[in-house]
Amino acid sequence: MSTELSDSAPPPPNEASPAPTRRTFIATTTAVGGVAIAGGVIGGSILSEPEAAAATAAPTSRVALSVNGRRHTFTVDNRTSLLDLLREHLELTGSKKGCNAGACGACTVLVDGRRVNSCLTLAVRLDGAKVTTIEGIGTEDKLHPLQQAFIDEDAFQCGYCTPGQIMSGVGCIEEGHTGSPDEIREWMSGNICRCGCYPKIVRAVEQTAGRK
Amino acid sequence: MSPQPQAAVGAPLSRVDGRLKVTGRAKYSAEHEVAGVVHAVMVDASIGRGRITSIDTSDAEAQRGVLAVIHHGNAPKLPYKDNKASNNPPGARLRVFQDDKVRFHGQPVAVVVATSLEVGQHAASLVKVRYDAEHPTTELSKGEPDKPTEYSRGDVDSGLRKADVRLDLTYRLARNHHNAMELHATIARWKGDKLTVWDKTQWVVGTQTELSTVFDVPLKSVRVISPFVGGGFGSGLRCWPHTVAAALAARVVKRPVKLVLTRKQQFFGTGFRPEYEYRLRLGADRRGRLTAMAHELEHETSSYETFTEGVLDPGRMLYSTSNVSQAYRTVPLDVNTPIWMRGPGPATASYVIESAVDELADRLGIDPIELRQRNEPDEDESSGLPWSTRRLRECYTVGAREFGWERRSAKPRARREGDWLIGMGMAAGVYHTARGAAEAHVRLAADGTAIVETAASDMGPGTYTSQTQVAADALGLTVRNVTVRIGDSLFPPTPPHGGSQTMASVGSAVLDGCDKVRRRAVELAIEDEDSPLHGVNAEDVVVRSGRLHVKGDPARGETYRQLLSRNDLGHLEADGSYAGAPGTERHSMHAYNATFAEVAVDATLGLVRVRRVLGVYDAGRIISPKLAESQAFGGMVGGIGQALLEHTATDHRDGRIANANLADYLVPVHADVPDLKAIYLDGEDREADPLGVKGLGEVVMVGVAPAIANAVFNATGRRVRQLPITAEALL
Repeated sequence: MSTELSDSAPPPPNEASPAPTRRTFIATTTAVGGVAIAGGVIGGSILSEPEAAAATAAPTSRVALSVNGRRHTFTVDNRTSLLDLLREHLELTGSKKGCNAGACGACTVLVDGRRVNSCLTLAVRLDGAKVTTIEGIGTEDKLHPLQQAFIDEDAFQCGYCTPGQIMSGVGCIEEGHTGSPDEIREWMSGNICRCGCYPKIVRAVEQTAGRK
Repeated sequence: MSPQPQAAVGAPLSRVDGRLKVTGRAKYSAEHEVAGVVHAVMVDASIGRGRITSIDTSDAEAQRGVLAVIHHGNAPKLPYKDNKASNNPPGARLRVFQDDKVRFHGQPVAVVVATSLEVGQHAASLVKVRYDAEHPTTELSKGEPDKPTEYSRGDVDSGLRKADVRLDLTYRLARNHHNAMELHATIARWKGDKLTVWDKTQWVVGTQTELSTVFDVPLKSVRVISPFVGGGFGSGLRCWPHTVAAALAARVVKRPVKLVLTRKQQFFGTGFRPEYEYRLRLGADRRGRLTAMAHELEHETSSYETFTEGVLDPGRMLYSTSNVSQAYRTVPLDVNTPIWMRGPGPATASYVIESAVDELADRLGIDPIELRQRNEPDEDESSGLPWSTRRLRECYTVGAREFGWERRSAKPRARREGDWLIGMGMAAGVYHTARGAAEAHVRLAADGTAIVETAASDMGPGTYTSQTQVAADALGLTVRNVTVRIGDSLFPPTPPHGGSQTMASVGSAVLDGCDKVRRRAVELAIEDEDSPLHGVNAEDVVVRSGRLHVKGDPARGETYRQLLSRNDLGHLEADGSYAGAPGTERHSMHAYNATFAEVAVDATLGLVRVRRVLGVYDAGRIISPKLAESQAFGGMVGGIGQALLEHTATDHRDGRIANANLADYLVPVHADVPDLKAIYLDGEDREADPLGVKGLGEVVMVGVAPAIANAVFNATGRRVRQLPITAEALL
């Protein structure tokens, strides 16, 4: 295993940060319009061991971003990807980890309206960004039309790549890359479906684009 | 099937769990919220064979947040009792952190537990392991084969001598990895000596027995939960070392532990379809009638377990041949143990047999379909048993018509469109119908809703949906009033979710349980003086939409709700069971297909593009047609991968897998897959199981790769006897 640090010079360790529990972290984030304050280190440690003081602490940074319309401010471990931030800290597990290397698309989310592989995007880079995940499109009562089209077309089997396919499809439609099934296939090829539902995914995207 | 009207079974319903999946709310193994969970990260051997001489964990432990670094030097000794009720192959399973021996590159040698994933990952990179390395043997041709498993009937030598045409062909098939989209992951939590595990598995019961024997705790002390499986294709059919490592780590740090394998780690931390070399000699008379087939095949296995698969069946029963011999050898290498992958065995054998038969047809100038028809057996010649159902001829006929087979040129390299050479090919596919003992619990509540519980899994085929359909009809309820719960070892046991046996096995148990509950309700009604059904013959009562009534007289009846509340019953319940295949079969049972493919091959670059695929299936009753179509597409896409892309490449100098990622291990993407078409022949197999199903998840993959390979030959005139068929091979 290895983790990548960002190319820029690492900021000094945030010695001032206390190490709160996840509970205190969640308690200090607030919804849109509120003032978000958090002293927590996301992806940082919760240590009770006596040697903690002498241990090497994680490099951290402060970042403020919005996820599905909800604003968060926190201190993150610089190594934390957007995907791990979503899955391990915000409990938004709809975005999936399939390869953690930008090769499968299961982690696709929209950042400021553009589709990105959240596994390749470090959270610290996203100060001021607006992130939309599968949990942020459609509502419990009214699915996004593409979500409904996926159900109608049976455009998935195991369902693991599905949130990424749908987010990528939303992006693809928004970009206007839906002129033909071939064009959709080309522009959706960053999203692997190992169950092989490709023809049905293309149909779902095509139909949803047609209804727009 | 039951005498009940069939409203849900056979209807093209959408998935009952579809909403959960499209909203991201379906919880896969790593996503369950378990309070206080910490993260485990595996450290893998960087040599292919040898011994660990030292492990320096000081730098790793100096990272703030690291709770433990566990390795063979400090790990608790684990009992590893025998586990007979498992899919573990014969041999001695890999014991996690129990000795200093390295058996293959990437073997887990330590696990770091930390309070955050980032810290754990970084600390894992700081663990310094020193080795006494030996040179590993990972090449199939360099290994020492085990004693062969042999089969023969008739006299192959004489059959070959008498033949007008003889072919002696050797095929090589690359190792394939399942690469389901969900990473293998485990969350383990101990409470006293009770272990709960959220695990990616195709068999919660199997993981339960394995953990129970590894830690030597009572079976009841282990609970395995796996409600959603993000694809499996076989990789979840046994409990792998990382699951044990997660449970071990949780015991050491006394906190719940989450361990998610990386994509790279899955290449050696879980199994694979082994690499094969397969020599087939066949003889035929001038009319194309086979006179003999001699199969000699070998594939890799690990040095510590002997993995085998049902690769011999098609060679014995697909075509009529008096003279057949088979010699099947495993070759132990310094690799991880393989595991069954979609269409295990037949997906390999069919590529070889169907390619060779195509070659024979070309040699004799006989249409490949006609040649197959001439060798169609009247019975299973390996067992002498009659077929339960075998409609392969119909698959050929329907497929040829629907695909436009008459437009194929018998002469290869005859059709060209610009730079592209166009070709058509076909192949037959077969997969035996497996059934195992299964149980289900059914509970009908007084409000007219029902809950069905069974330990089955759903890795994608749609177990939730199809079992709901079976239960709804047997109980006489609408689909929305039935809830199926699976993926928990607390529920009644089932066989593994593999080998295409879930529908036949679990479905039959669900059917049995629901039939019992419905019959109890009917009995209650006809004995109840206050029921409008009082005194009616039980056989004359059917239930529709929760209402019991006299067959042919819908006005005379009452609802479950009325019946149960009048009798002060909160619910009715029953245990359903299915015994599985009988000890001695009276019929030979298989699902079949004829698969057709059209490809375009760039004449200069050797690039192969699949333009069309059609599958025609004889798979018995189709419970859920909409989902069955998706299954078929999945098999075709898997077959496109097997035929043209998938190849695990090992660097034999140190046993390292060189392409252990999804950028270099190529799988089909959107742009590789054209429009696909699947046709299921209408019908059922009354001998196979109470539902009349023959299984379809495996058979849909079998035959796809040879159909594509034969199309490549038809397009180019080049016969590539290896998978995958790459551009390099065609240049």
